[in-house]
Amino acid sequence: MPALLAAQEVSKIYQMGSNSVTALDNVSLEIGEGEFVAIQGTSGSGKSTLLNMLGGLDHPTKGEVYFASRPLGPFTKKEMARYRRFSVGMIFQNFNLIPTMTARENVSLALAFGGLRGQQRRARSRELLARVGLGDRLEHKPSELSGGEQQRVAIARALANNPKVLLADEPTGNLDSIRAHELLALLREMVNQDSLTILMVTHDHELANSFADRIVFMKDGRVV
Amino acid sequence: MSFFDILHLALRNLRQAKLRAILTTMGVIVGVAVIVTMVSFGLGLQSNMLERFKALDLFNEIQVFGQGLSSLAGMERPGARDEGERRLRSRRATRILDDAGVKEIAAVPGVAYVEPSVNFPAYVRSNGKLLTQYVGGANIPNAATRFQHFAAGRMISAPTADEAVVSERFIRDFGYEKPADAIGKTLELLAPPGEKDDAEEEEETPNFFGIPLDDPGFDELSAVETRTFRIVGVLGTIKEGAGQGGLRGLMPSAGIYVPLAMAHSWTTQHRGPLGQVALALARQGGNLGAGQTEGYEVAVVRVADPAQLTEVRAKITELGFGSFSIVDEIDQIRTVFLIIDSVLGLLGGISLLVASFGIANTMIMSILERTREIGIMKAIGAEDREIKLIFFVEAAVIGVVGGVVGVLVAWGIDGLANRLAYRFILKPQGASFIDFFDLPPYLWLGAIVFALMVSILAALYPASRAARIDPVRALRHD
Ligand SMILES: Nc1ncnc2c1ncn2[C@@H]1O[C@H](COP(=O)(O)OP(=O)(O)OP(=O)(O)O)[C@@H](O)[C@H]1O
Ligand SMILES: [Mg+2]
Repeated sequence: MPALLAAQEVSKIYQMGSNSVTALDNVSLEIGEGEFVAIQGTSGSGKSTLLNMLGGLDHPTKGEVYFASRPLGPFTKKEMARYRRFSVGMIFQNFNLIPTMTARENVSLALAFGGLRGQQRRARSRELLARVGLGDRLEHKPSELSGGEQQRVAIARALANNPKVLLADEPTGNLDSIRAHELLALLREMVNQDSLTILMVTHDHELANSFADRIVFMKDGRVV
Repeated sequence: MSFFDILHLALRNLRQAKLRAILTTMGVIVGVAVIVTMVSFGLGLQSNMLERFKALDLFNEIQVFGQGLSSLAGMERPGARDEGERRLRSRRATRILDDAGVKEIAAVPGVAYVEPSVNFPAYVRSNGKLLTQYVGGANIPNAATRFQHFAAGRMISAPTADEAVVSERFIRDFGYEKPADAIGKTLELLAPPGEKDDAEEEEETPNFFGIPLDDPGFDELSAVETRTFRIVGVLGTIKEGAGQGGLRGLMPSAGIYVPLAMAHSWTTQHRGPLGQVALALARQGGNLGAGQTEGYEVAVVRVADPAQLTEVRAKITELGFGSFSIVDEIDQIRTVFLIIDSVLGLLGGISLLVASFGIANTMIMSILERTREIGIMKAIGAEDREIKLIFFVEAAVIGVVGGVVGVLVAWGIDGLANRLAYRFILKPQGASFIDFFDLPPYLWLGAIVFALMVSILAALYPASRAARIDPVRALRHD
C-alpha cells in the first residue's frame, strides 16, 4: 500500500536571532490510506510542528512532505491553499474557532471556501454538527460552548470539505475520559466507514492503544 | 468562495467595529461633499454665465465686417498687440459689405437673417428738448431679442415707415413721464443743411426720403435739415437675470431705432469730416470705383441653430468677409472655468486624500485585530486572493457609502445655500431665484466612482499585508 501522506527526512529549524531551535530533526513517517495513527511525545518534542508541515501550513527547512506521492514543496501558494482546503482537515490544539461566529458559521466558513452555496451549505453544516452531537448547539458562539463542544465544532469544521486526511492535535485534551472515549469512537468509525486517514496527537497512551492502528513516539524532534 | 460570501464577510467585519467604520466613512463623506459642492458651484457659475450669454443672443450671432472705408483709403492698422487681436485680424475682410454681400450671406444655409448694423450719433429733438443720441437702424420685421420686450407701443410697422422705437433711457432723458406718454409723439433728427457726397449722385433713390438733396441756394446758417419720426414703441429694459443692462446680442445698442434703409442713407448723406476724407482717398486710390458705395461696416448675422455657428462662420470667411463671434471668447471662458473647477476639485481631492489615510489606518487596525482570524481562514484553505478581496470589498463599501452619502450631503448643501442666498440676498433686492449650483450626473457619479477608487487604493497595502499573514504564526498569536 503506497503511503497517502509521507514525511521524508523532514527538518524544521527555527532561527531565533543567534541561536536556533531544531523543532524537527530528520523525521520520516509514512501513513497509509485508511490508517489511524497516534503520535505521542513529551511537550516540545515537535508534534504540532510536524502536523503543520503535513497539513501544508508551513514548509520544512529540509526534506519533503508527500501527499499521494506528490511533493508539496513545488506547490504554488494557491495550490497549497487548495491542498489545505480539500485534502487535509486540521484540528488545532487550541481549537482556533472564530470567536465572533456561531458554531454553524464556523463550519459554514470552511464550506464557503469549499464552494458550497446556499441551501446545500446550510444542510451540510447542520449534518456535520449533528454528527459530532451538536445538533442543538448550532447558533452558539465558542464562548457559549464547553471545551469539549468547541473541540467537536473544530472536528466538524475539519471534516467540512471531505478531506482525505484528518490531522488532529490533542483532540481529547479537554475532555473527560468518557467524552474522550466517545470522540475516539467517532473518529474510529469514520476511519472504518469512510476510510478517512487520521493522524492524531495524544498524551493518553491507553486511548491511543485502544483506538489507533499504530503509535509513533517522538522525542526532541525525532521519531523514536 | 462566491462574491456574495466575500461581501457578507466584509460587511460583518465592518459591523463588528461599527463606530470605527462610521468614523472612517465620515472622512469619505466630508471629502466627497467638499469636492461635489465646490465643483458644482464652479459649474453653476459657468452655466449661469453661459446662460446669460445665451439669453443675450451671444451664441447665435456673428458679427461680419466688410472692408471698411479706412482700409479702402489705404490706412495701415497698428500691429496686433496680443494673440486675441491677431486672431481677429486673421479674419480681415477682403471685400466690401454692400447689399449684394448681405444677400449672399443671407443665402448661406443656416443663416436666419442678416442685419447690417448702422449706428450714428445725432442731435435729436423731442418733447421740446435737444440732446445727442445714438441712432440705430433696424431691419423690419426684426426677430432679434432686443425688440421683443416693449414697455409701451410696438415695433416699427414697415421698412419705409417714418416710425421710431426708443429706449426707456430716451424716455427719461427727454422728460416723458412714462413710456406710454411718448407713443405717438414725434422726434426729429437734425443735420447740417445740404451736406452730401459724390456717391449720392449714384444713389438709386436719392429722393426717397424726400430730403432736398440738390437744393442749390442753401443758406448754411439759417436752416438745419430735420427728419421727423413718430415714436411707436418704447423698449422695455430687463430688470433682472440675463439681459440686465439692456445689451442684447452683438448689435450695438442705441437710444433710437429707425428703419435700416433710412438710417443707412442718413449716414451716407451726413458723414463727418473723417469719413469724407476716407471716401475721397478711397476713390482717388481706385479701391472704391466710381459706381461703388462703401457699403456697411458691420452686419450681424443670426444663425438658426447655435450649433451651426462655426460652419456658417467658415462660409462667411470664404465669402471674403471678416467676422467675430463671442463663441471664440466662450472657449476661453470655458478654459478659465476648467481651471477654476480643477482647483476647486483639487481642494476637495485633498480632503478625500486625507480620508484615504483614514481608510488605510482603519484597515490596518482591523488587520491587527483580526490576525488570528485571518490565520484561521488561511489554515482552513482561504486563498490569498480571497483574503485580499475581503479587505478590498470592505474598503469599497466604505467608499461607495461615503460617496453616496457625500453626494447627498453636497446636494443638501447646494439646496440650502441656494435657499439662503435667495432669502437673504436675492429676495431683498427683488431678484428672482437663481440656482448657483450645477450638479450634473457625471459630477456626482464621478465623485462616487472617485471615492470608490480612492478607497480601494487606500486598501491596497493593508490588503496585501493581510494576505501575507503567516498562518502558523497567526495561530500562535493571542
Ligand atoms: N515559531 C516558532 N519559533 C521558535 N520556536 C518554535 C516555534 N514553533 C515551535 N518552536 C519550538 O519547537 C519545539 C517544538 O514545538 P511543538 O509546538 O511542535 O511542540 P509539541 O510537541 O507540539 O509540544 P506540546 O505537546 O506542548 O504541544 C518547541 O521547543 C518550540 O519551542
Ligand atoms: Mg503541540
